[in-house]
Amino acid sequence: MNWTIAPTILPILTALICLVWGQPRRARRVLVAASATLQLAVALFLVVKTYGGEAFVVGLGNWSSGLGIILVIDLLSAIMIALSTLIALASIIYGYFEMSRKVEHPLRLPLVQFLVAGINLSFSTGDLFNLFVAFEIMLIASYALLTLEADDWDIKHAFPYFAINLVGSTLFICGAGMAYALFGSLNFAEISVRAAEMSADPRVLALALLFLVIFGIKAGLFPLYFWLPNSYPTLPAPLAALYAGMLTKVGVYVLLRFFGTVMPHDLHFAHQLLAWLAGATMLLAVIGAISRNFIRGILSFHILSQIGFMVLAIGFFTPLSIAASIFYIVHHIVVKASLFLIGGVALCLNRSDNLNRMGNLWRDFPFLGILFLCQALSLAGLPPLSGFWGKYLIVVAGLDQQAYVLVGISIIASVLTLFSMLKIWNAAFWHTSDEVTVASGDKRARPMTAVVAVLASISLFIGLGAELFFSISKKAAEQTLDQSRYIELVRSYPGKGTGDR
Amino acid sequence: MQIETAILVGILFGCATYMILQTSFVRILFGFVILSNAANLLVLSMSGDPTGKSAPIVRDPNALMVDPLPQALILTAIVIGFGMTAYLVLLLYRLFLDQKTTNAAEMYAETEQEH
Repeated sequence: MNWTIAPTILPILTALICLVWGQPRRARRVLVAASATLQLAVALFLVVKTYGGEAFVVGLGNWSSGLGIILVIDLLSAIMIALSTLIALASIIYGYFEMSRKVEHPLRLPLVQFLVAGINLSFSTGDLFNLFVAFEIMLIASYALLTLEADDWDIKHAFPYFAINLVGSTLFICGAGMAYALFGSLNFAEISVRAAEMSADPRVLALALLFLVIFGIKAGLFPLYFWLPNSYPTLPAPLAALYAGMLTKVGVYVLLRFFGTVMPHDLHFAHQLLAWLAGATMLLAVIGAISRNFIRGILSFHILSQIGFMVLAIGFFTPLSIAASIFYIVHHIVVKASLFLIGGVALCLNRSDNLNRMGNLWRDFPFLGILFLCQALSLAGLPPLSGFWGKYLIVVAGLDQQAYVLVGISIIASVLTLFSMLKIWNAAFWHTSDEVTVASGDKRARPMTAVVAVLASISLFIGLGAELFFSISKKAAEQTLDQSRYIELVRSYPGKGTGDR
Repeated sequence: MQIETAILVGILFGCATYMILQTSFVRILFGFVILSNAANLLVLSMSGDPTGKSAPIVRDPNALMVDPLPQALILTAIVIGFGMTAYLVLLLYRLFLDQKTTNAAEMYAETEQEH
């Protein structure tokens, strides 16, 4: 059996069963949870196998690589799939505890599964147009989830999200068409062969810059990030965790794949531009975070600022910095998702996540405070937590390149991150006031906190076992940058047809 | 043929951008419809100059054919674009019902005070 398609097909099957099953009931919830666990198990199996040097390739319809769509899972894809299935599982279980079956929208679980399918397909595809289709599956599910339970204030903020992504999709179609005209193929491997032959051609750089814009919209790079900090806070906590953890990181993954595997490695102008855009993103977004006064709003701006770190490492474009970027993605997804879930528990306890109306959480619910402190300090980058190692590696990679200004910006951004995390800590946890009540009797809070605790311990493990995770990232970076291996993998797939068009 | 198509694509993109930046919901909607059609036309023109080539149906193996792949891509893009347009219509209708206005500038006018 070929496992390449499993991370995409399992969520789609689950979603279809859920659609047929209709109303929310216990058996349906158990089915989705079981399927999400199975997806995580498959993803971990793929990570172990690809870490051992294997790679999974399948041509859809069994056509060979020149003719049909190819799916490829190497270590980077497998890591990303493992993260997306992990966060999806945590978000689904957390959602069960947060919301009783009576108020659950019947379409929520199927849409979450479609979203996961789209995300996993974007991680495993080896074809530019198929990547567009994967993005669309992901985006359509995300539009629907964003507006599913929205009130009239929320839906107003869903519109800019929809509009900017619609523009992004249209540009993507144009980009795919031009790539086909320029390279005569949409297959990543074939594009990389032909692009390497004509890397001095200015059209290659122009196309790379067009794709930088397209993927920059998805990732939320400066100046294309304004839609994100207003639309994400309208989501309920578990969905916000899934969006915050995964959707923008799809953009970062695609940037890694596109500049690492597909495009020639000597596009220095594009790399420089990426690094500087990333510097602007991290600084401006962290300042935006300081201006916000509710937890989900602050955290949404921090997603952007952290995206800046990952893209900065891609911009440095050395094997070490790519490995640092992958390590940072792994760290960030877990930390960010768990912070959003902590925000959800705090909202449920204080009945508000506006910092002016919060308080007493440390007095009445200290365990949540400990979890928040772990994750917030990790986000800011204090040793020995996972964020420290990610930032340390990026700074080392930057100093190697003598990019002192960018390294300086990243350190300022880290300090400001710490500042806005302390703002949440002071207002929500430390602050004592008789006017604020904490609903400690709320039965939902304990199991919800337990889900967060599992994620927090995973992130603690990433920090303490940084050596292991870094060696995985290093190997993933090597595989990503090794274009000849990728080409060989795809071309040697034994399918129907000759492969020549 | 190629030059004319390129100019047409440029005009369509220009019109679409202008329409999307208007404040009326209906103009925004039509802007997006034009935008997706402009993109489809651009991809179609990527199959090269069709002069002297036949439709991609094999009868004579030596005849020159138009490259069929961009057409297949457009088919996919049209289907997706259709779904997006349907969603956009409903989203704008819902916004109209909630906000009692069809003007985007009015709708976002008081957003700053709410938070």
